Amino acid sequence: MRRVNLYHDKRAQWAVYVVFFGILAIIPLSMDDPFTMNQYSRYGVFAMLALSVSLVWGFGGILSLGQGIAFGMAAYGMGATMQMQYQDPVNDPIPSFMLTNELEVLPTIWEPFWHTHLGLILAIGIPVLFFVIFGILMFQARIAGAFVAIMTLAMLGAWYNMAYDMQPYTAGFNGISPPSAFVAFGVEVDPYSNLIYWVSLGVLCVLTLATKALLQTKFGTIVQAIRDDPERARFLGYNVAYYQIVLFALAGLIAALAGLVWVMITQFVSPTSLDIFFSITMVIWAAVGGRMSLFGAIFGAMFINAAQSYVGDEFQATWFIILGAVFIIVVRFAPKGLAGLFEYVFGFIPYRVRGTSGARGDAHSASE
Amino acid sequence: MAVILDLQDVTKAYDEYKVVDGFNFQVEEGELRCLLGPNGAGKTTTIDLITGRQKATSGTIMFKGRDITGQREDKIAKQGVGRKFQVPAVFKELTVRENFQVAFSKNTDPFHNMIRLGRRDGRERLRQVVEIVGLQERLEEQGGNLSHGETQWLEIGMVLTQNPQLLLMDEPTAGMTEQETQQTSEIFNRLKGEHTLVVVEHDMAFVREIADVITLMHLGKTLAEGPMEIVENDPKVREVYLGTEGITDAA
Repeated sequence: MRRVNLYHDKRAQWAVYVVFFGILAIIPLSMDDPFTMNQYSRYGVFAMLALSVSLVWGFGGILSLGQGIAFGMAAYGMGATMQMQYQDPVNDPIPSFMLTNELEVLPTIWEPFWHTHLGLILAIGIPVLFFVIFGILMFQARIAGAFVAIMTLAMLGAWYNMAYDMQPYTAGFNGISPPSAFVAFGVEVDPYSNLIYWVSLGVLCVLTLATKALLQTKFGTIVQAIRDDPERARFLGYNVAYYQIVLFALAGLIAALAGLVWVMITQFVSPTSLDIFFSITMVIWAAVGGRMSLFGAIFGAMFINAAQSYVGDEFQATWFIILGAVFIIVVRFAPKGLAGLFEYVFGFIPYRVRGTSGARGDAHSASE
Repeated sequence: MAVILDLQDVTKAYDEYKVVDGFNFQVEEGELRCLLGPNGAGKTTTIDLITGRQKATSGTIMFKGRDITGQREDKIAKQGVGRKFQVPAVFKELTVRENFQVAFSKNTDPFHNMIRLGRRDGRERLRQVVEIVGLQERLEEQGGNLSHGETQWLEIGMVLTQNPQLLLMDEPTAGMTEQETQQTSEIFNRLKGEHTLVVVEHDMAFVREIADVITLMHLGKTLAEGPMEIVENDPKVREVYLGTEGITDAA
């Protein structure tokens, strides 16, 4: 028998996830409010973004301020897909914003989005591919720490400007607002419905559990080792850059899926999805909730956004100041966020476990 | 016995200044070699060159008859070169057990490791290593919570878990108490023969305990090489350590 912190018990963690997502899944049954469902769906997307930050930063040690790049690219891909679902190949083949920008033929890069499946593949595939290439550029050169933050931020700024300036292709500042909801397999995903909420929650749930499972494999232990000491990992025979690129791309994949769901919910995509503040805010959600806990990060995103809605309009102007102050306090006094406080409190709860699961026969027989 | 590590005329220069200057160094299989020398002699740089952390300006480094000069760190490590750092480096947020799991690096492909459960990996090796370095009672402790001596042993244990043919140990007893040093020399004497070791060390009592042959470096070159008594009484060595009582005190 040895004493452990219940917080670190893997089975307890999985139980918490099951209960958490179980409760969230039945929320729509107890209320019939399409507006609230739309609002909650958005929180689901924010939680996905916090999850992606937690994975890449909390577990991988890569402070990416550019998760919005994958989010925004996927959002534009989804926006294009939904726009082309609305367009008619014969009578109305060109989106109206292109016509007002004096485009007479559909640009080649828009052509694939006639096909919904291809559109979705591109919406996810292109940002992931971009993260792979961007990751190779950064991590092969062994760029780390604040320099990664600066490079990802600069890259995000570049994409923002591109989306803003290429008006004939992106509708610039106004953004693309597909006139109809997304249709998949003949089902219309109404942005104001229980269905959209379950889609958002379902994607969040699958991504979270997959990430959780991934972190429990040896890969998960190795990326955390690389976070702690990349040099040590290198001399144990690991190609650190390779691991970082894979991890960065996986975090990009999560952020891209968030972007995809986002446009289903909002039916709108504009350069604000690539906004620098937005990407920094994602980092704050994860930091406040606890970047080294997937659950903490998700909870942080939901909690902060719910709080922002709750405080009402009069605080919206000062919201960033409040958030910034909270961020500074958390980083300074509770670097593991809310999850870290839980870990601390759970440390006082007497909880014993038999040295069975995995520990049996390792070394106890050899103890002096 | 066969030569496992062979440095031929290796030089590392920063502009005009040569930290390692035409250094020749051969280590035989199963040997425990101590690398001594005053500060700035180029000992750690030599270790850096062997493990690929720094690239040699000229010369060749052969390991098991293969040229490893200028290869990437992880590639050299995978061929069987393990390294312990001067400042002990362990994964502080991971448990001792997880530290060992990561060190069990038979397969380093990220996608392969996505389908492996860390806890099951290398259990037998973990048992063997823990038997050598201790830490049985500390397996669930976080790496960052260990005492200085325990951290050193953990890192030695991690390098052993890798099961390298050649172990490079940069000041393994730095900061250890006398008792801890004693325990460490017992560990090293057990490793001798099975593994080839190169140990950079300042603690002369420790060197006497473990070394077969010592190589004394000075200004990037070999000053003397041989058993302790011979090196100690070499007039060139006495010259370098002029004004002291010989290498024992100077080191």
